[in-house]
Amino acid sequence: MTDFLDLDTLNDEERSALRRLILTLADSKRLMGIRYSDWLLGAPSIEAGIAASSMCQDEWGHARLLYTMLRGLGIDLVEIEHGRAASEYASVGALDEPLPDWAALVAAMTLVDGAISVALRAFSNGSFEPARSRVPKMLAEEEYHVSLAAAWYRRLAESSEEARGLLRDATMGMLPSVLGWLGADDAPARAMVAAGVTEPGESLAQDFRDRHRELVGALGIDIDDVAVAEGWDEARARAPGSPDDEAIERARGDRNRALFVE
Amino acid sequence: MLEIVYDVFARKNRGDRLSHIGYIDALDDETARVYAWKTYDEEKWFEMCVVPRSAIIQVNRVDGPFAKASGQAR
Repeated sequence: MTDFLDLDTLNDEERSALRRLILTLADSKRLMGIRYSDWLLGAPSIEAGIAASSMCQDEWGHARLLYTMLRGLGIDLVEIEHGRAASEYASVGALDEPLPDWAALVAAMTLVDGAISVALRAFSNGSFEPARSRVPKMLAEEEYHVSLAAAWYRRLAESSEEARGLLRDATMGMLPSVLGWLGADDAPARAMVAAGVTEPGESLAQDFRDRHRELVGALGIDIDDVAVAEGWDEARARAPGSPDDEAIERARGDRNRALFVE
Repeated sequence: MLEIVYDVFARKNRGDRLSHIGYIDALDDETARVYAWKTYDEEKWFEMCVVPRSAIIQVNRVDGPFAKASGQAR
């Protein structure tokens, strides 16, 4: 593809749809980073904690890059990054609550981080120039996340009944919202497909299923039978709900307001 | 879970000697790759590789860090 999207030609609905798409990716990255950060200490090994720390930094770096893509739409980034309430976050619902155990972190690393990468891959192949130029590096960094996630997922799936149970519960808790988030097929989603910015939600959901079928199958889960989460908040491209306030206070940097340099 | 000791080798630039830069404990080869890359990220490495310590064959000594190449030695 050589023809890039000309933002000046977009109508209000298309601009709003592009804003929503960028926000849901950026907010999901930011929340993913928060959830990784909870496991910098307390991971099963020092190396696993260091990896969580590094992935946390990756996610926040990716989020920052994605947020800056909103500048072309004339959006105030300070307000976006530091001024929104939890109810305005467009992050995937599977990240709304802290991850209670390492199995849940592994499930999120596999399924949520994996789903974000599926969405980003389509975004990077589309007509929005900033995504085409900046997202491939993110995806290269994410390859390490995918490797680590799959290795840990397989290991826990072959482990004790307790570990398998925790991983299964976390997987079944996350899959419906992840599939719903990826498979968005409302008017704004279709507008972005028509503009060549991304691919249809059903294609993304199918790509995600294909990539994870074997992995979750190790727990006896048939990913093709998992129902999508009920309810849809069109303004935020996600199921109803919002991240916990404590996570958003950290995401906004509420305790460091006096130190803002932006 | 049983972890395996992997030694980490890297070179900063093409043509540099491959140097031993440390070790990590990992579940398997795949986690070893990621842990090594994420742990020893202080340089922009041209190349990095990991070797299970158990694969190292001692040549002239029976002591030293690589001698107890059972996969558990440090």
